[in-house]
Amino acid sequence: MAIQHEGLAKEFEWVTRPGEQKHIGEAIEKTDALMQELAYQLILGANTEVGRLTKEALDNGYTANQVLDDGLLNGMAIVGVKFRDNVIFVPEVLVSARAMKAGMQHLEPILSASGVEPIGTVVMGTVKGDLHDIGKNLCIMMLRGAGFVVHDLGVDTAPDEFADAVEEHDAQLVGMSALLTTTMPNMGRVISYFEDVGLRDEVRMMVGGAPVTQEFADEMGADGYGENAVECVDRAKELLVLLKELKA
Amino acid sequence: MTTKAQVAGKMTSRQRVMNALNGLPVDRPPVANPTSVATVEMMDLVNAYFPEANRDPEMNARLAATEYTEFGFDAIAPYFSIIQESSALGCDMQWEQKDNWPTVRMANPIWKSSRDVKVPADFLQHRDITAITGSIKLLKQEFGDDVAIIGKTMGPWTLAYHVFGVEPFLLGTVDDPDETMAALHRLKEFTVLFGQAQIDAGADILTLPDHATGDLVSAEYYKRFLLEMHQELAETFDVPIILHICGNTIDRMPYIAQTGMAAFHFDSRNDPQEAMDAVNGGIKLVGNVNNPTTLYARTPAEVRKEVYRALDAGVQLIAPECAVPLKTKAENLVEIPIAVEDWAAEHGMI
Ligand code: B12
Ligand SMILES: [Zn+2]
Repeated sequence: MAIQHEGLAKEFEWVTRPGEQKHIGEAIEKTDALMQELAYQLILGANTEVGRLTKEALDNGYTANQVLDDGLLNGMAIVGVKFRDNVIFVPEVLVSARAMKAGMQHLEPILSASGVEPIGTVVMGTVKGDLHDIGKNLCIMMLRGAGFVVHDLGVDTAPDEFADAVEEHDAQLVGMSALLTTTMPNMGRVISYFEDVGLRDEVRMMVGGAPVTQEFADEMGADGYGENAVECVDRAKELLVLLKELKA
Repeated sequence: MTTKAQVAGKMTSRQRVMNALNGLPVDRPPVANPTSVATVEMMDLVNAYFPEANRDPEMNARLAATEYTEFGFDAIAPYFSIIQESSALGCDMQWEQKDNWPTVRMANPIWKSSRDVKVPADFLQHRDITAITGSIKLLKQEFGDDVAIIGKTMGPWTLAYHVFGVEPFLLGTVDDPDETMAALHRLKEFTVLFGQAQIDAGADILTLPDHATGDLVSAEYYKRFLLEMHQELAETFDVPIILHICGNTIDRMPYIAQTGMAAFHFDSRNDPQEAMDAVNGGIKLVGNVNNPTTLYARTPAEVRKEVYRALDAGVQLIAPECAVPLKTKAENLVEIPIAVEDWAAEHGMI
């Protein structure tokens, strides 16, 4: 079966890795014309149109979860791949993120009222002394797009702010971002702080940002490292499974 | 301290840098970081610490001079960060401490549109402007004959991140590109004002950082929004201009080569040979020793390898890729001119 929507089918051509082709392709193929149009408009970043289509779908009896999974998230998956592969850049991603928000405005009240469990809760911030947040924000967007609840602590985040947020929101995952070599060690400090206050075993901690490497991540005792926003989501999913096993 | 590099050279450092930028013969390729080599070790040595060393002309000059006196580079670049103008414009600042760079809190932008962009009457008298112009005067007096003094003035694109906030500004480029152009044109006034003030104070060269990097925007964006403006800026100043954009830039180098600027300071994420091919003689290259991994965390032997790689490719001025990490060890920086000397000797230059 092929993707019916012409525009979306064209966008899907940017997905070239076999694993992703299968995963995203199968998710899209089982959706109908309206959901495919929604995914397509999200990729274009047409925020008014995404808001309108989302509302139309809800009015026509689609569930909020359907609209999210079959429409918005499929679109976002393609946006993530295009950004990683340098087909599009930050402005285009920001525009799609804004469109996602326009859709979520209609979905969020329904989703939170229905009490559907999110797949996981993440606390995410840029570490102390660092004000770079573009990459962190893209990761958050993709995590939300993948069904996580993310609490954004913003930039310049101190160790105790991470810890407090984990307790307040009962989060399973902590994501830290650093773009400066001067602030990279602060990721290690957050990890030690979690050890000191007895929270280390309650969460899995992942790190990222341009100067961070797997090597640095291992050295400072992080549980996971991701090179880009797509990997951030993959890592979050893996770490969640790991945490459940550890706690079981 | 007089380094091996200074003793061996025949030309003065200043001549070497100016010649390289002007495409004239040199006794060996010059070493110059157009961004910053301020380090914590040097702050301790000359008793000039961040954040004060960014704001006080004398402390600034003391710390800046170590680029030449301690590391043996051929230039001195006293503007260590990218925030002096933004502070003078009233941006919300985070000055940080000794071991971190000062920065603008871009989450609280001061302006919303091009109409808000106004030149404050006392812009050039603000302490964070005179910290740099004052320092350049001092450095010119003490080192002016021997060393190239490199000023720095932010391009309109980088200023826009600071005054509008990165995300609002980048969203605006999609929603209303004409408004973006209008804002860039108005912001360019600050680039010209501060740049000229530094030339008047004695700067031999200006670095012009303008972060339209491949990590954020496409090459098409560079061409659409900045190429013409950069050409205009290159015409405006009568000293050589070094454009600085970190990150991946290979895709836009063919455009950068058309700016008419003297040189382009490029990042280690671009292979030096590929970069040389991409600019195809249209502009000189300055670079591109890796900061976060090589200079910060590795040994002189590895620094040397990267210096050789750039020289072998034909890169005209050797430098770290951007402002060096503040905790970079002196031995790694000192190794850069030493490696250049050795390479030059092996190639029958000196
Ligand atoms: C844009 C930028 C800025 C903007 C920041 C705007 C903002 N709101 O974020 C401005 C111009 C204001 C700025 C300021 C400064 N910057 Co700056 N900046 C950059 C630049 C050009 C791009 C960074 C970026 O946003 N990339 C795009 C995003 C999408 O990529 P990313 O952040 O890496 O994120 C991706 C991945 O890393 C990953 N990821 C990120 N976080 C996480 C977290 C987790 C958990 C996971 C799994 C993954 C993950 O996924 C993201 C999406 O794919 C880089 C150069 C570069 N090319 O990296 C320099 C750079 C980071 N900056 C640098 C410097 C020095 C500074 C300043 C200190 C400059 C100065 N001297 O004043 C100040 C810093 C102030 C401070 N205290 O923070 C240096 C750092 C050098 C060093 N050795 O530490 C860099 C590397 C330039 C260089 N080549 O040297 N900067
Ligand atoms: Zn830079």
